[in-house]
Order: sequence, then structure tokens, then C-alpha cells
Amino acid sequence: MLAEGALAAGCRFFAGYPITPASEVYEVMMRELPARGGLALSAPDEISSLCYCVGASLRGLKALTATSGPGWALMIETVQYALMTETPVVVALVQRLGPSTGGATQGAQGDVWLAEFSTSGGYTLPVFSPSNAAECFELAVHAFNWSERLRTPVVVLSDKEVGMTSEVVDDAALEVPALAHRKVATPHADYTPYALDEPDGVPAFAAVGGEIKVTATGSAHDQRGHLRKNSPEVIEVLLHLERKIAAQAEEMAMVRADLDPAARCLLISYGVTARAARQALSKLRSEGSRVSFLQVQSLFPIPQRWLERATRGVEFVFVAEENLTGQYRAALAPFLSRQQVYGINKIGSLISPKEIAHAMQGVMA
Amino acid sequence: MTAPALYLAPDATLPYCRGCGHALVVRQLSRALEHLGVPPRSVVLTTDIGCVGLADSLFPYLHTVHTTHGRSTAFATGMALADAILEPHGLKPIVMIGDGGAMIGLLHLVHAAQLNVDVTVLLHNNFLFGMTGGQHSALSPLNWVTATTPDGNWTPPLDLVALLRTAHASFLARQFATSQELATTIARAIDFPGFSLLEIVELCPAYGARWNQASGAALEEIVERQGYTVGGVEAEMERPTFRELYHHELKSRRPQAPIAEVPPIHSPANLAGELRLVVAGTAGERVQSAASALCRAALAAGVYSTQKNDNPVTQGSGFSLSEISLSPRPIEYTGLESPDVVIVVSADGWEELRANGTLAACGEKTLLLLDSQIDATPAAGRVVRLPLRREANPKRAALAAIAAWLEKDPLLPVEAWEAALAAEPPERRAESAAALNIGRRLACL
Repeated sequence: MLAEGALAAGCRFFAGYPITPASEVYEVMMRELPARGGLALSAPDEISSLCYCVGASLRGLKALTATSGPGWALMIETVQYALMTETPVVVALVQRLGPSTGGATQGAQGDVWLAEFSTSGGYTLPVFSPSNAAECFELAVHAFNWSERLRTPVVVLSDKEVGMTSEVVDDAALEVPALAHRKVATPHADYTPYALDEPDGVPAFAAVGGEIKVTATGSAHDQRGHLRKNSPEVIEVLLHLERKIAAQAEEMAMVRADLDPAARCLLISYGVTARAARQALSKLRSEGSRVSFLQVQSLFPIPQRWLERATRGVEFVFVAEENLTGQYRAALAPFLSRQQVYGINKIGSLISPKEIAHAMQGVMA
Repeated sequence: MTAPALYLAPDATLPYCRGCGHALVVRQLSRALEHLGVPPRSVVLTTDIGCVGLADSLFPYLHTVHTTHGRSTAFATGMALADAILEPHGLKPIVMIGDGGAMIGLLHLVHAAQLNVDVTVLLHNNFLFGMTGGQHSALSPLNWVTATTPDGNWTPPLDLVALLRTAHASFLARQFATSQELATTIARAIDFPGFSLLEIVELCPAYGARWNQASGAALEEIVERQGYTVGGVEAEMERPTFRELYHHELKSRRPQAPIAEVPPIHSPANLAGELRLVVAGTAGERVQSAASALCRAALAAGVYSTQKNDNPVTQGSGFSLSEISLSPRPIEYTGLESPDVVIVVSADGWEELRANGTLAACGEKTLLLLDSQIDATPAAGRVVRLPLRREANPKRAALAAIAAWLEKDPLLPVEAWEAALAAEPPERRAESAAALNIGRRLACL
């Protein structure tokens, strides 16, 4: 469904390398993309996969690759290049149990930090996290839209349990968001590839091979794309890379909120664990507990306004995620300073609704 | 009257050290482009990291993409691949890479050669990493003194031209930077349809020449000692370019069978809440396909399902299993906790369910439907044994077992199975129908 979402978003280029549990996306794209006017190709490694995608995007095509943690580790160099050159590209990162080769067919939500904090300088990488097949479709479209609008790499952070589970999808209920495309420059003599005309704006794109001369570089550059050292303009260009994303953070925010105004407890989750959390919520409520629930679909930028809303009057916050150290909980911590925050964590298998409910009851009692 | 400077700006100040071959290459590249009359906007100069990467600003009318170390070829390949499906097309990526970049990005060169994308690589081989201080590279000659081999290099140098020949590179050439023929050879490489690589042999005046007391004459000696021929085209083999191959491949693709639809039925399912089921057996015995058939039958009757498969990494040996949830409502949590039904049709399946904790999770109410050949007994649960493997045969055992279970516990109407079979490939239908019939019969024993 993630691949179908990419196709619906107008993706025309895919380069991939086999890895469990992301090979399903690779296979669907190899099968479907050529028939729909695009090009899908096997790359010799993950570094090449993403370089090919970025090259294709520089030529003007919407591009996708899919991988898991070990492959993502190899792609980080090129993710940063895409960020620096303001080249749209989407990476489906289907998590499995790490570290290293880890457990290829075991689910995990252990790549939250690895996905988000993968750039030197700590620039925000938009990350969307689907919890089921239908969300894979919808969030893939949103990922492409934001990648195009912001001219930046975007991650769809799925995992083995979401990506390799067959499930029934009601396609009549699927929402196909309106498609966005990168703003294209009109030929004129004074095209500035990294223009800072508006402080939070995104420069217009010119494709390699078109009428407008392209100057792209992964090195620190000024607005014209020239390498400059010790130039305040270079720092302005760098700041703009973060500003353009921060400016859209609220519009990018995507959650599924189920809030109870009288709740003292808030349960937060994302990805596959949000499904168990929703079931735990029903159980707790049926037993009379007043609990709010927030499933975060856009992990980064952090949906701050939603957090503020969801934590109003709340004393206890629980963050359920299938990793060892509470990666998203740590990312949320600065925004939860007035609450007591508890992690519900586990590795090696799904966190069950029972485990979530039990952990919460232990604190609330 | 002079022609307008479309390529190298005539007044360009070249940023290279005195005596550096890179300066000769950019001048000859400009001459080659001029000779070919290539429209500047159809060229993308894709530069690597190192002194070779300084060329971008010297060509004000070409597209320039300055990349990461070693990856220039891969980005250029990506642009060429995209160009292959665009109209109008005709983008010409020219990669400028050094010997250091060529080694860290070796895989990209190999794959570009295999694909035969229309990319020209100008490999500037000056036997070391210049920009970072003259360190040894994989292409340094034997005994070559560098910052990291002060007593001389003792690892044999890589012959990239020979290596890329084995990757089916269609055009390979080697030339001295000082050669009068350089512009002509560059022009031939660019003009060649498909992948071309020209290795340009030069000396780094800052480190190579100084530490090795090497001059132009010494350079000839070095390459001779390495057994290289310099000055000629080493390989020129016309073969279809990537673009031609890809479009040919598209035309000759077999039409794909559309995904079969499961026709909806009008008899409702008899399922009040969520039901969790495990089917386990041996790989290659259609365990997972039997589980899929069940999910399709459920779908026909309007029942939601999730299916998770597991098998050893080898795929075709050992156990094979599917965990299924069925529910009249959308399913949230897909874990098993305590299964309602466990179907085991072989010893491999039994062993795996023991190892993964499924058997221990069975409660008193769990129905365990086992093949008669499994003589072990679980700690809890209602056990029913049927001669599935013997009566149905091993490949039909899982589906027969599902049919037997549903015969006793009719959650799905019979029409649901008809709908599920209609969605199976025609060659499979008779087999599946037989398995279902055997299962139903066994249930009545």
C-alpha cells in the first residue's frame, strides 16, 4: 500500500535493493511503475539506490526508494546531500529489529532516532509513521507532497509488522490527498538556484537538462550555489534549510486524537504500537478510566500544538513504542515538562494491549 | 571574430596548482565540446570531491552538480536513467572524478558500465589524493611515495580500465593529460552512445612530482612498468544503450494477469468477535497459501482479516506458518496473545510453535487441530487429530484442515469458499476444491 500511495502521488522513479522487510515495496514498484510510465530499477547497493533517486529528482522526476535499518545506515550520506541541495526525494524506511543485521523478520520501532537525527547539524527531516496498510497509502502521498513543497527528503517510517502484514483495506474509504508538486522556475536571465527571497520560502526548482542553468552542490554555498567560506550568506542559506520546514510544522502535523477533556492520563503512540494502544484505550475506558489518546502520524516536526492540546489538564503521559530506550518519548520530553512521563517499551515482539493497560493501571492506581 | 564562449570562460582563472594536469583537462574538455557543438544546456557536469571538483564554476553555461565523494557517477547515472523515459531527452552527464573517488565509488562505475547509460567519465588519475594532502590511493603505482606511504607504496595498483572491461564498459580509453590528442579522445568519449570512461594520467605537482622526483618522462616509465597502454582507445564496443535496452524490454514484457477479484457474497458470516488462528506446517506445503485462501473467503463474507507469515530465512525449508485474525470489525492489534484455533499439519510446524511460545500460550478453550502423525500433546487445549497428510496429501493438508475446522464451526458460509476459489489462479482451483472436500469429509469422521 505504501508503493500504491507513492504511485498515486505521482512517483515516476524507483531504485531499490533487496532487504527484508522492505522488499515488498521494491517488488510492487518493479512490477507497477514501468506500466504507469515510470522507471523502476535494481541498484547494486543502497548508496546507489538513493543516489539514483536524487539524480532522477534533479532531472525532475518524483522518486522513491525503500529500505530497512541496515540500508538506511548506508543512505544517510545521500539523505544529507538531498537536504543540502534541496532535492525532493522520499525514502520508505521499513524498520526491523536491530542493531546491525539484527532480526530481519522481527518488527521494531528502533530507527526513530536514526531516521530523524541523521544529519550533521541536526536539521529536521520530516518523518511520517503509518500504523496500518491504509495509512501507508495516505502517508506516502503526504510524504511526497511535503517533499515536493519543501524540496527536502522525507521519510515514511514503517515497520515489519505494518509492511508485511496482509490486511483488508476498504479502498472506498481511502483518502487521496490533493497532489502537490515542486514550484518550477520560469526561464529568466537571473535565476538564483538557492534564492532567499522570502525568509521561510522554498526556492523554485529548475531541472537539470532544462533551459535554466542548474548549479547544485552539497557543499556550503551562497544563493547562487557557489562555494563560499566565512560568508554570512552561506549561514543564511543553512538557516533557511531549517526555517522553511519549521514554518510549515503546524500544517504538516498529522495525528489521530481521541481526547477526553476530563482525562488525567494521556497515552501517546505511533506506528504499529498505536493499534495496541487504541485497544488498550477501549479496555481502560470500559473499566471507567478517563484517558486521552494521541496517535502521532507526523513524528517530525513534532506536532507541538497537538501536544499542548492533548496535555491540557493531564498529569501523566505514557508513550508506548517498540524500542528499548523510548526514542520518541525522549524527543517529546522537552514539550512534556509539566507532566510525569512514563515509557511503555519492549523489544522483540509487539507490545500488547494488555501490557499497555497494565503499565498504565500500575501508575494510575 | 571569436565564437561566443559557451563552455570554458576564456578569461577563467583556473584554480589549480602550476603544472597540474587538471588545467589541461578542463581546456581540452571545452575544446572537445566546442568541436562536437554540444548545446551547453544538454550537458551536466557532475563533479566529485577533490581538486577535480573545482571545475564547476569554470563552465558558466553548463548545468553543474557538485556531489559527494565517489558518488558523482551514481548521481549522473540517476540523471541519465530519468532522461531515458523523458521526451525530449538527450541529457549528457559528464563525470569528473579522481583516482580516490573512483575507488570509493567503484561500484557506481561498474554498474554504470553494466547499464550502459549515456554517461562519460573523465577519470583524473594522478596516483594520489591531492586535496587532502597527498595520501596514497588504490591507483598509486608500486613504490610511489605519498604522505601515507613514505617508504613507497607496496600494494599493486588497480587497473580500472581492465576492471571495467569485465563490466562490459563499451568505451574505454587512456590518455596523458599532456597529450595533443586529449581533446580528440575526450570528444570521442562524449560522442560515444552509452557508457564511456577516459582515464587521464597526470602528475600532482604538489605531492606526486615533488616526493617522487617525477617528471613527464618518469610518468611514461611508470605506466609502462604497470603494463598500461596510453594514448589509445582500449575498447569501443557498440551495444544498445540503457535507453534502447529499457524501451525494448518494456515492449517485450509479458502482459500481467490482473489481480483476481473476490466476488462479494450475500450470506453473512457467523462471527461475533475477533478470532485468532495459527496454521503451521512445512515450507513448500502451501501452508501460507491456505491461510490466504481463508482470508479471501472471509473477505467475501465481509469479514476483516490480518495475516502474518513466518518461515526460516531459507524460505524453502523448515517450518512455515501464518497467524490470522478474523473479525467483523477492523482489526487493531495483530498479535496472538492466546490463540482460539491452532492448526498443525507437520512436525516442523509443531516444533516451531513450541519454540515460539504459541503452544504455551494456548488456553483450555483453544482448539488444536493436529495431523495424526503428530503424537505430542499440548499442556492445554482441546485436541482433535485427523489423518490430514495421509488423506489429503501434504500439499493439501493445511487447506483440508481449515475446511475440517469450519465444517464443525461454520463461521463462513459455503459460498464464501466459492468466491475465494474464483479468485485463485485457474490451475489451482481444482486442487483447492479437492482439499476443501477432503477436509469436510474428514470432519464428519
